[in-house]
Amino acid sequence: MVRVTGNFQSESPIHLKAFEVLQAAFENGWADPAKLSQSGARARQLKNNALESIGSALSIEVDSIVPVSPASLGYFVGIQGLNRGSSSLIHGATDRKDVFAIASKTAHQLLKSDLTGKLHSEKTQSKGSVLALQIANAETGVIQDCQAIINDVKPDHIFLDATTSGIRVPLIDQFSTALFDSKSWYGPSGLAFLVLKKPSEWSNPLPHLNAAHPNFDVSLPLLLAAAVALENFSAEVASANTQAREFNEQLRNAFSQLADIDIAGQLDSSLPHLLSVSFLNCNGEELLREIQNDGYSVDSGSACTADNLEPSHVLAAMGVLTHGNIRITIHPGTTQEEIDGLISSVSKNVQRQRR
Amino acid sequence: MIEIDARGLRCPQPIIELGKKISTMNKGDEVTLLSDDPATEPDLSAWSRMTGNKFEKKSESVFLVTKLSER
Repeated sequence: MVRVTGNFQSESPIHLKAFEVLQAAFENGWADPAKLSQSGARARQLKNNALESIGSALSIEVDSIVPVSPASLGYFVGIQGLNRGSSSLIHGATDRKDVFAIASKTAHQLLKSDLTGKLHSEKTQSKGSVLALQIANAETGVIQDCQAIINDVKPDHIFLDATTSGIRVPLIDQFSTALFDSKSWYGPSGLAFLVLKKPSEWSNPLPHLNAAHPNFDVSLPLLLAAAVALENFSAEVASANTQAREFNEQLRNAFSQLADIDIAGQLDSSLPHLLSVSFLNCNGEELLREIQNDGYSVDSGSACTADNLEPSHVLAAMGVLTHGNIRITIHPGTTQEEIDGLISSVSKNVQRQRR
Repeated sequence: MIEIDARGLRCPQPIIELGKKISTMNKGDEVTLLSDDPATEPDLSAWSRMTGNKFEKKSESVFLVTKLSER
């Protein structure tokens, strides 16, 4: 077993402060906030404080935030809650598979992607439509021009997928529902936040008795940890972005020295901490393993690394090379030494494979 | 007509075999690539853009590739 010295996978350990809170929360926040007991009252207080803190960090009214677990359920309630049965769902070709799954059960239209990852709408009949719009892509980091797409599509309702962009890209004003993922600010995974900006446009698509207050019963300790992680990441995000942009530029420049590479999206219109690059005539699975042997872990969108042996639908939709792909996530703790090490490992292994 | 039967081969093998063959061909020559790998179609479109050659999908798993550049 090789000791990993540099983690460039999309997953990372949760923020240290959030981890400390988790432990304390399991001691103090175990009771049901809905009950009248003393411990219930304390749990309620903790929950309210956490939601207040999250609302203030996201600049969203606390009453419109509904914690939901897991994130995939958030897609369903966020999108289907806007669908009045006869609606058509319009969404991007580079969206999460969760959105494709929902679209497969309803009338839908696809917004195509160009080579840079930007979505384009053909002028279509969009009356009675729900637009599901991903602010930034989870694989490539490409940020959409949301306002331009909305102006073209003119949907009745808008669902914004902020699960990857998190607090790195501000929300536009015009939306009905939005979804955040605690993972995007180094909180615990398995917890998302649905924002009901226009409650009158939304109704709970799950079986329920109380229509007024949707409640998806999430773990209170996870909620508290998510709030603390967000509070801490909010203070770090500007410097994290600056550092990540510098590292991303170094990676792009270094990989460009190797011939026949295909980088998905341009840095200026992408999240700075994500990079997806494909090397012609290389095998993604082997590349991932060889880089791992050098002590660096990365992700891959190549077919050979996927369970279903299908290539990344995001790369395919963009027209970017799907084989020989690696995906790099730069975390706030990533060091120059790790970047240098990753560059030399990737360069060495790409050249060896091409020999 | 030159033909590469890459059926049953997984990515990136079909594209590597195509690259090897096309390097021995002259500009304007055509080659038929048979491949049932789901990555071949999207990768042919990226490969064409990167190398300056072109391809046309004739039917399921059958692609006609034309050499247009030096590589």
